[in-house]
Amino acid sequence: MDRETRRVIEEYRRNEAGPLENNVIDELVNGELNREEFLKRGAMFGMSLGIMGSLLAFTGEAGAATTARTQRVAAKAGGTIRVGLTAPGASLEPYLLNDGGALALAGIPGEYLTFTNPKGVCVPWLATSWKPNKDATVWTFQLRKGVKFHNGQTMTSKDVVASLKHYVGVKQSNAGLTPYFDAAGVSAKGPYAVEVKLKLPIGVFPYLLSQTTYQAIIQPAALAAQPGTWVKAGMIGTGAFKLKNYVDKKSAELVRHDAYWGGRPPLDGVRVTYYQGSAPMVLALRAGQIDLAMQLANQEAQVFKNNSKFTYYSLPTAAHRQLCMRTDQGVLKDPRVRRAVALTINRPQQMAKILLGDGQVGNDNPFWKGFASTDPSIKQRTQNLQLAKALLTAAGATNLKFNITTWNFLDHPDHAASVQAYAKEAGIDIGIEIMDVGKYYDSEPAGADYATTTPWLNRTCSLTEYGARGVPNIYISRCYMSTGDWNASHYKNPQFDSAANTYLAAAELKAQRAATKRMAGLLLQDTPVITDYFINYVTASSSKVKNYVPEGISHVRLAKVSLA
Amino acid sequence: MARYVLKRIGLALITLVLLSMIVFAISNVLPGNVGRSVLGPFATQESVDALNDQLGTNRSIVVQYKDWVSGLVHGDLGTSLTKQVPAWDLLGPALSNSFKLAFVAFIICVPLSILAGIVAALRYGKATDKSITTAGLSFSAMPEFVSGIFLILVFAIWLGWLPVTAQADPGANLATQFKYLLLPAFTLTLVLLGYIARITRASMIEALDSDYARTAHLKGLSNRVVIRRHVLRNALLPTIAVVAVQIGYLVGGLVVVEVLFNYQGVGSLIYEAARQKDLPLLTAGVLVVGIVYLTVTLIADLLYAVLNPRIRFGSME
Repeated sequence: MDRETRRVIEEYRRNEAGPLENNVIDELVNGELNREEFLKRGAMFGMSLGIMGSLLAFTGEAGAATTARTQRVAAKAGGTIRVGLTAPGASLEPYLLNDGGALALAGIPGEYLTFTNPKGVCVPWLATSWKPNKDATVWTFQLRKGVKFHNGQTMTSKDVVASLKHYVGVKQSNAGLTPYFDAAGVSAKGPYAVEVKLKLPIGVFPYLLSQTTYQAIIQPAALAAQPGTWVKAGMIGTGAFKLKNYVDKKSAELVRHDAYWGGRPPLDGVRVTYYQGSAPMVLALRAGQIDLAMQLANQEAQVFKNNSKFTYYSLPTAAHRQLCMRTDQGVLKDPRVRRAVALTINRPQQMAKILLGDGQVGNDNPFWKGFASTDPSIKQRTQNLQLAKALLTAAGATNLKFNITTWNFLDHPDHAASVQAYAKEAGIDIGIEIMDVGKYYDSEPAGADYATTTPWLNRTCSLTEYGARGVPNIYISRCYMSTGDWNASHYKNPQFDSAANTYLAAAELKAQRAATKRMAGLLLQDTPVITDYFINYVTASSSKVKNYVPEGISHVRLAKVSLA
Repeated sequence: MARYVLKRIGLALITLVLLSMIVFAISNVLPGNVGRSVLGPFATQESVDALNDQLGTNRSIVVQYKDWVSGLVHGDLGTSLTKQVPAWDLLGPALSNSFKLAFVAFIICVPLSILAGIVAALRYGKATDKSITTAGLSFSAMPEFVSGIFLILVFAIWLGWLPVTAQADPGANLATQFKYLLLPAFTLTLVLLGYIARITRASMIEALDSDYARTAHLKGLSNRVVIRRHVLRNALLPTIAVVAVQIGYLVGGLVVVEVLFNYQGVGSLIYEAARQKDLPLLTAGVLVVGIVYLTVTLIADLLYAVLNPRIRFGSME
């Protein structure tokens, strides 16, 4: 390393880096982080690419910093891309976004403070850098200068503060981060800096303000101050394309935002057509009526595999299913019984059959291998029918019989049937109860207390879907901790809660990994939830679509896309 | 005749009021919760309650119905709870789409089905009759999504002659819109052909075997004249009644075809509203479809009477 690089690094460590950044650098120097993990952690703490490149060079990883960037082909300017999205079920107002079709469209004109890229790295977006205080309870975001909204207005901290207050402040919203901060905790620190005071330490907070929290779109302050006006005003955001025309449930037209901060997008525009599900979208793509589709059902997308006219995308994500077993009552109360059920599943075979290989085997915890905080040494659970039978005998549950309750959604029926078939090999008799979405997620009977009656949180065994996230915080705090409001297995383990709290507050990767290893061990032992696979985001485009990179959360990012 | 029509309109109004009451009552026992449907399964119950409170869906069903009726008498069909836009803003374009598809399907399906029924009856017991009857039955028994996908694969994907979806681009001319509607119309033709053709065939066979047809033949009239002047006029009467009911289905009951061909008609809109418990939109949709059914049935009855002089309006009353 030359003298100049050494000087830059030393100056950075002395003058700019806080204790958390210096920890990351120490972890790299001590060999505790590989280059990809370092890039993830460094980006999360707001370290510039230049500094990270210098540090990697210092540790013998020269040139590695550029590997985080996707190889792109030269873009051809012009043309309008035709995109197929599933029709949204409800409103497109940011605070009400809750389904793939809605967030996919809203996410074209709308953007976020940070961005979790397909490699799971949190990178600068509308915020160029961020810094936590010593205990990660206050985060300060430096905003990108010169960002223009579609109405020509320049984005400042006033807009970001109003947008974040909008996100956590509207009572009738779907905001998942309200346990972590409230409107009073958001303030401007000058025209281009925003401070967020958290209710508890969160070492990975920038991840939570990326597009995976899809309601936190940055909009002009005037619109953010009046929830429910964004769509009517023309979905004014900072994205690469601005809305020209929108017909509810039918179509949308967007044109290039020439003043886009990320450079002039190659495409002239985007034409969105809504479809009532995956099958009509597949047919439209095959017939050449659209160029790109959002997420497709695995089975239906097979026709695009190894087909020269199309490009097939299969992106590993943290999206998964949770087969939750009641730990507090009923036939699954004994952890030996729950372990026995989990041990009957032949996971690689199940994944190959249901997801046709487009997934990754799960280990009965939410710690996807793509998360930097997941300890790679956690032992994988495998099928062991002999042990399953022995556990059932020991628990006096040789005639075990129960129902899996789920709803008619994508792979759920097949998933439940596969568990039923595997469990049968160990003499377990499983019935399947498949409901309509309304019934599964409503109180039972309608109007009764929700938390104590809704099927998905109260049945002996329920099967529920969880979307992709950049970090496992939401899964841990809401599904597994004893205080979690989505804790369908009613799991209560003080040791787990303690490890979870350690993880949530930890900013250092080493501490996070130690905590996730401890949590994973407890989950294997107690098995409140079976997570037998993680699901890849599968989609396809016409082969003339260039530079498209899919996202696990269903957003359709088109700023760099071109048509051949 | 005017008295008869007025009386039918009065009965239709009573039917529509009852229909709206039934929809509200049934929706009350359907599973689902508007707030949950809008905010998603993982929203907190507090947020869901706040939204339901804002939308007024936590009020009693009677109060909600009264509100809706009060709006209706002032010409307001209500506001969609999930979309927060006037129900008519969603229903109007959907209804227009449904009428377009119903029209194209009608002009293809009805003449073809009647022709098939007539040919089958004239070739009674022969290979042509058996082929038409068997093929018609087979097509009718085939679910719409199977026949629809088959047609899409052949005509849209393999041959590339027709578009895979039914929705033409905004501003498309009539010819283009017609082209886009051909595949769903053919799918519906396959569904209805067997049924309408069988009714026509049965009526034709009965009419061909009637005393008046025999008399006409004995008078020395040619077979063609007997069929055109005497048989067809009588044989088509039951077909008119059947076709009238199918028009209601074509306008408001095409959920599967609309989904398959990505067409935003009334059927899928009503289905979606029912799924999300969006009562104002659901009731307005059902009401509109009810009006279509009742109007078409009334027209069919009047046509029936015009074609059949033996029927007197007094006896119909």
